[in-house]
Amino acid sequence: MTLTIVHLLPELLGTYGDRGNVDILSWRLKERGIAHDVLTIGVNDEVPTFADIYLLGGGEDDAQIAAMEILKRKDGIKRALENGAHIFAVCAGFQILGESFPASGGRKIPGLGLIAVETISAAQRSVGEVISEPTIPIATLTGFENHGGQTRFLEELQPLGHVRHGVGNGANSNVEGLVTEQIIATYMHGPALARNPELADWVLARKVGEMVPIKAPIFTQLHDERVRAVNH
Amino acid sequence: MILKVIILIANLFGAISRMTGRGNGVMVTGRIILKLDPGAVATLSKNRRIVLVSGTNGKTTTTSLIYNALASSMRTLSNFTGANLFAGVATALSKDTKARIAALEVDEMVLPWAIKQTRPELVVLLNLGRDQLDRLSEVRSVAQKWKEALQDLPLDCQILADADDPFVVWSAQDWAKVIWFSAGVMGHIDASTCPVCGHVLHWADGGVSYSCECGFAKPVPEWVLQDGLLFGAQGQNIEVKSQIPGHAAISNAARAVIAASLFGVPLWIAADAVSRVSSVDGRFGELHIGETKFRLLLAKNPASWRETLATSASGPKVVLLAVNANTQDGKDTSWLWDVDYAPLQGRDVLVTGERRVDVSARLTVQEIPHLIVDNEVAAAKVLGAKNADLIASYTAFHRLAKSVERP
Ligand SMILES: [Zn+2]
Repeated sequence: MTLTIVHLLPELLGTYGDRGNVDILSWRLKERGIAHDVLTIGVNDEVPTFADIYLLGGGEDDAQIAAMEILKRKDGIKRALENGAHIFAVCAGFQILGESFPASGGRKIPGLGLIAVETISAAQRSVGEVISEPTIPIATLTGFENHGGQTRFLEELQPLGHVRHGVGNGANSNVEGLVTEQIIATYMHGPALARNPELADWVLARKVGEMVPIKAPIFTQLHDERVRAVNH
Repeated sequence: MILKVIILIANLFGAISRMTGRGNGVMVTGRIILKLDPGAVATLSKNRRIVLVSGTNGKTTTTSLIYNALASSMRTLSNFTGANLFAGVATALSKDTKARIAALEVDEMVLPWAIKQTRPELVVLLNLGRDQLDRLSEVRSVAQKWKEALQDLPLDCQILADADDPFVVWSAQDWAKVIWFSAGVMGHIDASTCPVCGHVLHWADGGVSYSCECGFAKPVPEWVLQDGLLFGAQGQNIEVKSQIPGHAAISNAARAVIAASLFGVPLWIAADAVSRVSSVDGRFGELHIGETKFRLLLAKNPASWRETLATSASGPKVVLLAVNANTQDGKDTSWLWDVDYAPLQGRDVLVTGERRVDVSARLTVQEIPHLIVDNEVAAAKVLGAKNADLIASYTAFHRLAKSVERP
């Protein structure tokens, strides 16, 4: 079986290098000889409903709203989830999946409502290195956050990590990101899956099952260097 | 205290800073001038004809080219070293009180202040792209700040703006005296949404033109650059050449020719003057380390990396990348993943800088073989007597540019 990875709307949600997450997943599969395709879905394309892993990146305010409108209209993501797909979403992508997110002029934009979170404006933009201890069995997480929103859980949900440095979801929660059966969402750029090879493999393993380890010391080195940089 | 005395004092501190090796004195001098007289830039700009140049990429080169084009006919001053913040502008204006014309490079966020203080005669707007997202704002909010700031221009001021960049167009289009320039390239790698209404922008003709359902569209340019020929709406045409490598250099040279012509310099004289400029502030300068001869190139954000990698592709087989992530570089290195490193394919690649591990991870995924080295000296030891390109991010570049041999 060939695994299909879908990169959603990179023209709109690709401001912060998050396309690297797609490249990382693809590279790690290739290193293991696991057959896969990467589909890049542009603003005029239909969102496929049959693929395995969908990725959403970060973007500027207008682009975020435009992306949300397109995804809502096309309904593909919702049906993909019903078909068992997994989603990895970063920053604006995280917010889009929730109930609502803020826009200029105090507007409140309804999101896709696929996770029970809402995002409101924070008094101050959160910018800088973020380090958290994951709630899943992988190494400490490292990323670079840059967001003006704070994201609140509307019901009891599992965060991706407990923040040790930086802000994360904010809203006095001390947590970062979110994990559900099918969705992983985070504020971590970096890109997150380049800096956190164990997270990348965890995302893949949820879909393809146990995988052989790969030799790629540069990613472990990058991970350890970024974690150390903040501990100083 | 009168301004003359203030400048004397400031220059003294600048000289001390230079002699004690703390800096080149430009920042110290300017800071003291502005501290003692916050209105100094306004005073120093009076009775002068001012050109301001701003944008994400190409500021230093374009300003230098404009300076050269103007200086061919009139005594002109400029902030040559890329010192484009408040202090740099103040220092430049204080250095030469006799120059009647000033060509000033200003940071995107400093432009509103510079407009109020200097009362310019011409503002040159280049482009707006992603740059240091951790420090600067997103493109839209910079464009918004420009849009507001341009309303403070003196009524007879002209704007020379890039029609290829939707966000530049949006910021400048309310002004009555805009001269649109088009180099016929996709002027903006990030403009996916319409600056006016936020909907998806439709790009056509391979990225040359754009429009939106709301009516926003690329304006008709008054000056067009095509295959090195610059055409004006009044039938003017002139060949534009540059000794500075790369596509961007020709566009910047064309802008300089237009800018100088607005100050009465004949096109051919301006074109001749800009064609003689070969190196600006260390860019493309030669650097000898050990036995290796490096050509120094600056790359600081996705757009500028693309341009620089394309330019370097026709250069030597060996290339050293030096990437830092200090404040002036931007502390977030995520953008490395937005750059296509294919032009490095088949070349001998070395990687250094404080964030060499990030770069190495990035190149690994694109399957570009490379060697990590501690610094440029270690690279030179590996390379020996070879020619190499050294592509450096902002702070790495400026550290190395000091050692560049002036042509
Ligand atoms: Zn529009």
